[in-house]
Amino acid sequence: MIRTTKKNPVDMIFSVVTGAASFTVIIFIVAILYELVHQSGPAIERFGIWKFLSSTDWNPVTESFGALTNIYGTVLTTFLSLLMAIPVAIGIAVFVTEISPNVMKGPIGIAIELLAAIPSIIYGMWGLFTLSPIMSTYIEPFLKNIFAGVPVVGILFQGTPMGIDILTASIILSIMIIPFTASISRDSFNLTPAVVKESAYALGATKWEVVRDVVIPYSKLGVFGGIVLSLGRALGETMAVAFVLGNNHRITTSLFDAAATITVTLANEFAEADTDIYLSSLFYLALVLFVMSFITLAAAKFFLLKAERKYSR
Amino acid sequence: MLEQIELRVKGLNFYYSGGIHALKQINLQIHSNQVTALIGPSGCGKTTLLRCFNRMHDLYPGNRYEGAIHFVKDDILSPDVDLISLRSRIGMVFQKPTPFPMSIFDNIAYGLKLKGTKKRADLSELVEKALHHAALWDEVKDKLNASAYDLSGGQQQRLVIARALAVKPEVLLFDEPTSALDPISTAKIEELMEKLKKEITIIIVTHNMQQAARISDRTGFMMLGELIEFDRTDKIFTAPSEKLTEDYVTGRFG
Amino acid sequence: MLPGFLKGSMTREQFRKAEGFTALVLSTLAALLGLFWLVFILGDVLVHGIKALNLSLFVNDPVPPGVDGGGLRNAFVGQLIITICATLIGVPIGVLGGTFLAEYARGTKTARLISILADIMVSVPSIVIGTFIYAILVRPIGHFNGWAGAIALAIIMVPVVLRTTENMLSLVPWTLREAAFALGAPYYKVITQVVYRGAATGILTGILLSIARVAGETAPLLFTSFNNSFFSLNMNQPISSLTVTIFQYAMGPYDNWHEQAWAAAFVITIFILILTITGRLIIRWRYR
Repeated sequence: MIRTTKKNPVDMIFSVVTGAASFTVIIFIVAILYELVHQSGPAIERFGIWKFLSSTDWNPVTESFGALTNIYGTVLTTFLSLLMAIPVAIGIAVFVTEISPNVMKGPIGIAIELLAAIPSIIYGMWGLFTLSPIMSTYIEPFLKNIFAGVPVVGILFQGTPMGIDILTASIILSIMIIPFTASISRDSFNLTPAVVKESAYALGATKWEVVRDVVIPYSKLGVFGGIVLSLGRALGETMAVAFVLGNNHRITTSLFDAAATITVTLANEFAEADTDIYLSSLFYLALVLFVMSFITLAAAKFFLLKAERKYSR
Repeated sequence: MLEQIELRVKGLNFYYSGGIHALKQINLQIHSNQVTALIGPSGCGKTTLLRCFNRMHDLYPGNRYEGAIHFVKDDILSPDVDLISLRSRIGMVFQKPTPFPMSIFDNIAYGLKLKGTKKRADLSELVEKALHHAALWDEVKDKLNASAYDLSGGQQQRLVIARALAVKPEVLLFDEPTSALDPISTAKIEELMEKLKKEITIIIVTHNMQQAARISDRTGFMMLGELIEFDRTDKIFTAPSEKLTEDYVTGRFG
Repeated sequence: MLPGFLKGSMTREQFRKAEGFTALVLSTLAALLGLFWLVFILGDVLVHGIKALNLSLFVNDPVPPGVDGGGLRNAFVGQLIITICATLIGVPIGVLGGTFLAEYARGTKTARLISILADIMVSVPSIVIGTFIYAILVRPIGHFNGWAGAIALAIIMVPVVLRTTENMLSLVPWTLREAAFALGAPYYKVITQVVYRGAATGILTGILLSIARVAGETAPLLFTSFNNSFFSLNMNQPISSLTVTIFQYAMGPYDNWHEQAWAAAFVITIFILILTITGRLIIRWRYR
C-alpha cells in the first residue's frame, strides 16, 4: 500500500531517505558476499572449490589450505550441541506452557531470556575456568570408564580427558542455544488453540498425551523452524567455543580431542595471518561459513513463516 | 415410558479463580436418553454449568466447586474422582470444530487408542461404526487417511462428534455445536442428536431458542448464574411459570 | 463387564498415568536444568567478579604483565566509545529503515523481502561481519582502528533496530494515521508527529535491547578495533574494548590477568542484564 500522494517535497525526501536506510540491509548482504568472494579470490584460484572443501590440510608453513577440518569441527560441535539442547529446550517449553503454575511462568520466562542475553564471551570464559576443570577431573574420566571399552561407542571416548575438547565445547554451545530453541518452541506451543487441547482432555487424555498427540503435532513446523534457527546460530558461534575447543586442525573421532571450527580458526588466526594466501584462505573460510549459515537461516525463516501462515488460517 | 435420572445436580455453586461466583445454588435433574437444553443470555453461566459435568474447569487452577453432581452412584465433583475415566464416560463437543492435527481415521481412533484398543482390525471396525453413527461415513469412506483439516466445517463438526461417540460415552455435552455452521450442516447435526438420544443422554448449550425448542425434551433457562426455571421444553416455551422466562422466550430481551 | 477386562483396563490406565507422570517430571527437570545453568554461570561470574573488583580497575591503565596492580580504564572507556559510536550510526539507519517498511512500503513485496533478509542478518555470524569490515576498513587503511569496530557493531545493530521499529510502528492503529491525514497533514508529519509518538516506548526498548546485544560482542571486534594496552580516545587507531580484553586476558598465562578478566566480565554482564531486564519489563508493562 505505497501511498501515492507524495506531492509534498519534504515527504518525497523523507520517503527516499527512509527507503535508502531500509535498503542498507540488502546492500550489507550483497557487499559482504561480494567482498568475501573478492578477498578469497587468490585462494579460490589456487585451491578451487571442491579441493578446498575436501582437503584436510591446514598448513601455513607450506601454504596449503583446506577447509574440511574446520567444517568437520563446526558441523560436529553443532550437531552434538543440538542433540543435547533440543530435549532440554522442548522440556522447558512443555513445562512453561503446560505444567508450571502461573506464578512460575514469568520468572522462568525471564530466566530463559537472561540466559539468552548473557554474551557468548561470558559462556566461553566460564567454560574455560569453571566447566573445563570439572569436565577433565570428574565427568570425562567417568564417561571414559564406562564407555571406552564398549565396542563402536568406545571410539568417541579415547585419549586423555583434558577438558579442552569437542565435548566441553559442545556442552557450552548447547547451553547457549537452549534459550533460543526453548522460547521459539514455547511460542509455537502457545499457538495451539485451547479448545483443541480441551477436546483432547474431554476424551480422557492425560496432560502428557495432550502434549504428545495434540500440542507437539500442532506446532511441529514452528518448533522445527526454531531448531533450524538454533542450528544456524550454533554454526556461527565464535566466543563460546573459542576458549575450550583448542585449535587443532585434524579430523579426530574422540570427543576428548581438541578440534577447530571455522569460527575458532578465524578468531585465532585472522589477525596473525602473515601471507596473502593465508589471509585469502581465511576469507575463503569466512565465505564458506557465511553461505552455510545464510542457507540454514533462510530455511529456518521459511519454516517459521510457513508455520505462522498455517496458524493464522 | 419409565424415566430414569442420569445426572442429579444438587446445590451446585461454582467460583472462577478470580472469585467470581458464576453458578448459584443450581439444582436440576438430567433424564436419561433425553436432550436437555440450557438457554439464557450470554454470560448467564450455561456453558460454565455444562463444563462442570466433565470437570473441564479443573484444567485451570483456582476454580472451585461446591455442592454435588451425582452420576449413577458417584459424585462427579468429589476430589478423588478419576478425571480420565470420567471424561471417557461423559464426552464433549465444542462450539468450533476441533479436529486434531492427524488423519480422519486417527482422529476417530484417538480415544480408542488411549483406552487400549490396539489391533488395526478392531480399530477399523470401531472407526467405521462411529462414522456411520455420526452420519459421516459415506462422505469420508474413500479418504480416511486424508487430513481432518481437509473437511468442511460441518463435516469437521460431525467428525468431532464421531470421535466423541467412538469411546462409547454415556453422556455427551454439546457447547453451542452449530453456532459456527451453516443451516444445512446445522440441520444434519440436529437430526443426528435426535437419533443419538436413543443410546445416550445429551445436554446442549445453545443461544438459539428455536434450536432448543426443536430438539430438546427439557429446557433449563439460566440468568446471572441462577437456574430460573427448569421444565419440559413445551412447557417452557408455551406456558412458563416465571415472568423472566416468558420475557426471554418471547424475545423481550437477550 | 468381565472382571478380567476391567482389570486389564485398570492397568492400562495406571500405565498411562505413570507414563504421563514420568514425562511431566522430566520436563520439570529440564526447566530446573535451565535454571541451574543460569544460576551456575551468573553465580560464578558474580563471585569471581566481585572478588576481583576494585577502584584501581576503573582509574588505572594496564601495567606490564607480571607487575601487580593496574586496571582496565582503557578498555572501559574504549568499550564506551565504540558502543556509543555504533549506536549513533546504527540506530538512525535502523529506525528510518523500519519506518520505510512499516509506512511508505507497508504491505509491499519489497518490504517483506527486506524484513526477511533483516531477520536473517540478525543471526548471521558476527565474526563474518568482522572479516568483511577488515576487508573494507582495515586492510586498505593499513592498520586496525576504532571506527572499523564501531561500524561492525553498527551493522549488527541495524537489522535488530529495523525489525523492532517496523513491528512497533505496525502496532499503531491505522485509524490514528487516517485521523491525522484528515486534518490535511502530509505523511512525513503524520509519521514524525503522530506515529512515532505512539510507538516511542517500543522503539526505545528495541534500541536498549540492541545495545545490550552489541555490547557483549567480541568476534566482530577482534580484527577491527583490535586491542590497545594504552589509554586512547583516537578512533582512527586501535582501541581497547572490554570483550576483546577479556578474551586476551583469560587466554593469557597470568593470574592477575585472569582476575581482571573476571572483573571485566562481571561489569559487562551486569550492564547487559540490566539493559535486558529493563527492556523486558517495559515491554511487559506497556504491551500486555
